[in-house]
Amino acid sequence: MKQIAITLELPEIEDLDKHGDKEATAEASLDCVKKQIHDGKSQMGKENSVEFGLIIDGKSLTFAMDNTLVNDFMDLAMGCATVICCRSSLKQKAVITRLVKSVVSRTTLAIGDGANDVGMLQEADIGVGISGVEGMRAVMASDFAIAQFRFLERLLLVHGHWCYRRISMMICYFFYKNITFGFTLFWFEAYTSFSGQPAYNDWYMSSYNVFFTSLPVIALGVFDHDVSARLCMKYPLLYQEGVQNLLFNWVLILGWMFNGLLSSIIIYLLTANSITGQAFRKDGQVADYSILGVTMYTCVVWTVNCQMALSINYFTWIQHLFIWGSIALWYIFLVVYGSIPSTLSTTAYKVLVEACAPSILYWLTTLLVISALLPLLSYRAFQIRFRPMEHDRIQIQRRRSESLERDVAQSRLSESSETRNSSDLPAEVRIRIDSLKASSRRKNS
Amino acid sequence: MSSYTPSSSAGGVGSADSAAPRRNSKRPKYSKFTQQELPACKPILTPRWVISAFMLVSIVFIPIGVVSLLASRDVVEIIDRYETECVPQNFRNNRVSFIQSDANKTCTRRLTVTKHMKQPIYVYYQLDNFYQNHRRYVKSRSDSQLRDNSSWNDVSSCKPEDDSNGLPIVPCGLIAWSLFNDTYNFSLNNQQLAVNKREISWKSDRDHKFGNDVLPRNFQNGTLKGGKSLDPTVPLSQQEDLIVWMRTAALPTFRKLYGKIERDLQPNEVIHVTLENNYNTYSFNGKKKLVLSTTSWLGGKNDFLGIAYLTIGGLCFFLALSFTVVYLVKPRRLGDPSYLSWNRNPGGH
Repeated sequence: MKQIAITLELPEIEDLDKHGDKEATAEASLDCVKKQIHDGKSQMGKENSVEFGLIIDGKSLTFAMDNTLVNDFMDLAMGCATVICCRSSLKQKAVITRLVKSVVSRTTLAIGDGANDVGMLQEADIGVGISGVEGMRAVMASDFAIAQFRFLERLLLVHGHWCYRRISMMICYFFYKNITFGFTLFWFEAYTSFSGQPAYNDWYMSSYNVFFTSLPVIALGVFDHDVSARLCMKYPLLYQEGVQNLLFNWVLILGWMFNGLLSSIIIYLLTANSITGQAFRKDGQVADYSILGVTMYTCVVWTVNCQMALSINYFTWIQHLFIWGSIALWYIFLVVYGSIPSTLSTTAYKVLVEACAPSILYWLTTLLVISALLPLLSYRAFQIRFRPMEHDRIQIQRRRSESLERDVAQSRLSESSETRNSSDLPAEVRIRIDSLKASSRRKNS
Repeated sequence: MSSYTPSSSAGGVGSADSAAPRRNSKRPKYSKFTQQELPACKPILTPRWVISAFMLVSIVFIPIGVVSLLASRDVVEIIDRYETECVPQNFRNNRVSFIQSDANKTCTRRLTVTKHMKQPIYVYYQLDNFYQNHRRYVKSRSDSQLRDNSSWNDVSSCKPEDDSNGLPIVPCGLIAWSLFNDTYNFSLNNQQLAVNKREISWKSDRDHKFGNDVLPRNFQNGTLKGGKSLDPTVPLSQQEDLIVWMRTAALPTFRKLYGKIERDLQPNEVIHVTLENNYNTYSFNGKKKLVLSTTSWLGGKNDFLGIAYLTIGGLCFFLALSFTVVYLVKPRRLGDPSYLSWNRNPGGH
């Protein structure tokens, strides 16, 4: 990397300074800086296959920020790969950050640990403060606080990548689940002569976003990983997914909305045509308005939660609890709400216990909503096969390398068992030891 | 760059400092939960999973579809639409005035049994184009009044059918006012066919929603009669027709249970139905149908479920096959690191 230095530590400037003539010094400094900037720019223009680094000190920076020079200075600075401003004051740091933000329409991140970084931290889009030797003033003015400079790498590559994916997936999924729910209401309206009669009991509708579909989204937004931390650090270019905004563009958003529309159509048509009309149980009873509502709502809750199960890549006990628990909560809610006296529970009184649960048709219709999951499953299968994204490829590679290691460990075990017939450790223990050795070797590499 | 291990916690001192003099470490306590290292299952959609998922769905769905379709085919159903033909010829152009007049509304119909029908045979009346799910209609009832004699006065939610001649109506509301009032009498070989009109409503309705101390009062007393009148000596919990009718239907085409015939019917038997065509569906071009139906373990006659299962099972089978073909014809070595974009375009973006 070639270096361009802009400094005022030159003999002629120092001479003028000694003489005490402030105006002359200032004028001369301005000219000097101007000349150095132009020299730098021409040097950059001549050799454009080389990377440049700009070094400028605090005194020169005051003159470079002058109205006549600032555009040239920013051109020079933006053309360099790295810019070092040393010995700059608090105000200068903030001004530089503001200038960069206005010239370049990208997200800026500032990191600093001292009180003189506070201006810069607040000016930048994201301020990262280091807590430690110089006190907590930077931390209090920052968006993120870390303990050491070297943790910035992990903050960006691991947590930045995860956060981007989580937030974008969460927003798309929110639209999806509410569109699925809302549109079933809309299709029902077409059959009530648009009088405004909701398909579901009021309490079902109020608790939709609170009880039955909120926990899985929280699990997605807080816990989901697509790629493990180790692999995020190993492949830093994965971070480009966020920079290039690959996971939150109009195509994806509209795709999820369309998925919601499709799910709602499938759910409505299947439920309305299966349950209504003829008797829905062996004892000849027909399904009325409340039973149709319960069946449709059950299908919506199942579909929306299973779509979540299909979309996330990381299943801990938390995800299992939240997803399947939300579905179970719906049935529990029906039983509990249905046992409250009918003046309060109106149409839901004993609807699950008496009417729906003994009806095999009800359960079969719920099973049929697997068809609402097929579009997403097929789309994902096609996408992974034909247009895999980077994190998909890395996941598959990880799976392959894991199974390869298991095979290696297995073959080593079978070799050793041939030679050492009388071993005092049981086979399962030996397999475990081998796999632990392999994974620790992998971590240390 | 640095020598720390990737799995160390973000807030702590790295292993490189182990030789430095001990200082007060502010490292937070390690826990798998806060470090997001819980044991996890990370499924990915490999070809094997995709094909097995589709095959599983089709293997489960196709038999269910076949079984459902067979159950639906077993159900025998007789449907007779009578609202046009039960209006005498000379009134065919002005059916509304016929139905509102005092003319004789008795009508006889003949139903032929096509297949053996096992008892109990359920008798339904089916109405088309009747929006029992209209918002104003559904709202127009008073649950507290139906339940309890002491709330006989609670008619505010029943407008416009809340009171007549100054007195509150029990049961109030549009739903009760528009109670269906056609009646059917069945005879087979000149012998009366008994229709059991008990226990046609939900048990929870009879026991909890309609009180056994609530008697109809001031019902259908106004100038416009909407439907059937109720016996003022019979409490609401025993007025099963009312209870069945008050369970508002889901869609504009609906059936409601009228009664059960508890004897078998043989093929080619002819049932004579004497019906009273009282109910006015002519003002809104609604249709009236009489339905006799058996049931199977699944319910009534509806091919839709069976066909839906078969269609989806077939579709999944087709998808499984096409994915198998794709994976065989164009195998791509998954997990090949040479496909990573930065390995394919060295020198970056």
